[in-house]
Amino acid sequence: MVTKTEEIQLNQLENQVENGGGGVWEYLCLVRKLKVRRSEIVLKHGLSILNDSGKRSALGPDEWTLYEQVAIAAMDCQSLGVAQNCIKVLKKKFPESKRVGKLEALLLEAKGMWEEAEKAYTSLLEDNPLDQVIHKRKVAMAKAQGKSSLAIEHLNKYLEVFMADHDAWRELAEIYVSLQMYKQAAFCYEELILTQPTLPLYHLAYADVLYTIGGLENLIAARKYYAATIDLTGGKSTRALLGICLCGSAIAQISKGRNKEDKDMAAPELQSLAATALEREYKQKAPAKLNLLTSALRNLKIA
Amino acid sequence: MNLGFLVGVFGVLILSHAAYSTIQYRGLLKIMEEEFSRPPINVILELIIGLALCMWAALTFPGKFLSIHPDSDENRAVFLPDNSDFMIFNHRGRLFPPQIDMKF
Repeated sequence: MVTKTEEIQLNQLENQVENGGGGVWEYLCLVRKLKVRRSEIVLKHGLSILNDSGKRSALGPDEWTLYEQVAIAAMDCQSLGVAQNCIKVLKKKFPESKRVGKLEALLLEAKGMWEEAEKAYTSLLEDNPLDQVIHKRKVAMAKAQGKSSLAIEHLNKYLEVFMADHDAWRELAEIYVSLQMYKQAAFCYEELILTQPTLPLYHLAYADVLYTIGGLENLIAARKYYAATIDLTGGKSTRALLGICLCGSAIAQISKGRNKEDKDMAAPELQSLAATALEREYKQKAPAKLNLLTSALRNLKIA
Repeated sequence: MNLGFLVGVFGVLILSHAAYSTIQYRGLLKIMEEEFSRPPINVILELIIGLALCMWAALTFPGKFLSIHPDSDENRAVFLPDNSDFMIFNHRGRLFPPQIDMKF
């Protein structure tokens, strides 16, 4: 996860790097640390370091990490020649390395040579059957070829062995959501909330899935998780505030014809408070869209 | 930043002066053959002021305090980065490769 402070730092460094203000190596280290995907900038400025032999030798052993980072960024930007050259340099330096072998297989994937990549991964797995990254690459390969059921099958097998891997749970949840299998996606998000209960983004995703499924019980639970998201972000999650308004409106519509009371005592207050917070935030950040928000909230019969 | 450092140095100097005054006072008492009961009022005041200045400088000079609450504005999670372990390369960016003219 990336915090607000880290995001600000990343954006500042990115602006500095793009405007030619130096700090390229610090930016590349931050991108690697936060695991964000900034392939084009990494490729451009990483290459400028790699082409400068003075800067390159100044890095010391970090030079090879930079080669790896630039190779992956080049694959993402479809600059396969650059990636191939980087891997060639790494292979010359580390001929027997499994890590370089993984990079070569990754390049085969980027070229679309799925059979060769599959063979490469299988041979790598023979040496180390519990390598998590290679199992994940198999899942990614199935996803890249559009075989979602195969990806789900691989991920389920993977999660039976490595059930604490929250990245894999998140990937499985996203695949299920893309296939509109919301019950399975909800289960995955429940697992994520169990492992990392203080991360508000999982609560938000889970609430979105429950709201999408619909039904009175799911809507009430979704409202609770939206409230948890607001609690964990200090009131800064606009999406959760909107979610509470939408959930309240949907619950009111379902309960209306049924003559069924909303059991939650705080429900009407919660909606009006969320609407007030939304209006305040729009007044601050997007005053031109305040009328749009007000009319939308009026359509929802809130505040 | 510089002010904090100067205040800290000044605080240490005041404490040193208080110690020196106490030594002087004990020497004076020996000459007058009197018992040492407590340091004089001005030395006590110097000690209190010096301690306050040093503590203030120690709290402000090294850097700003960071918030530890996970829901504060600095620490809240804004986004999860892309799952880099599951990154795929045949995305729509394939149709628009960046114009990198640098060779390698």
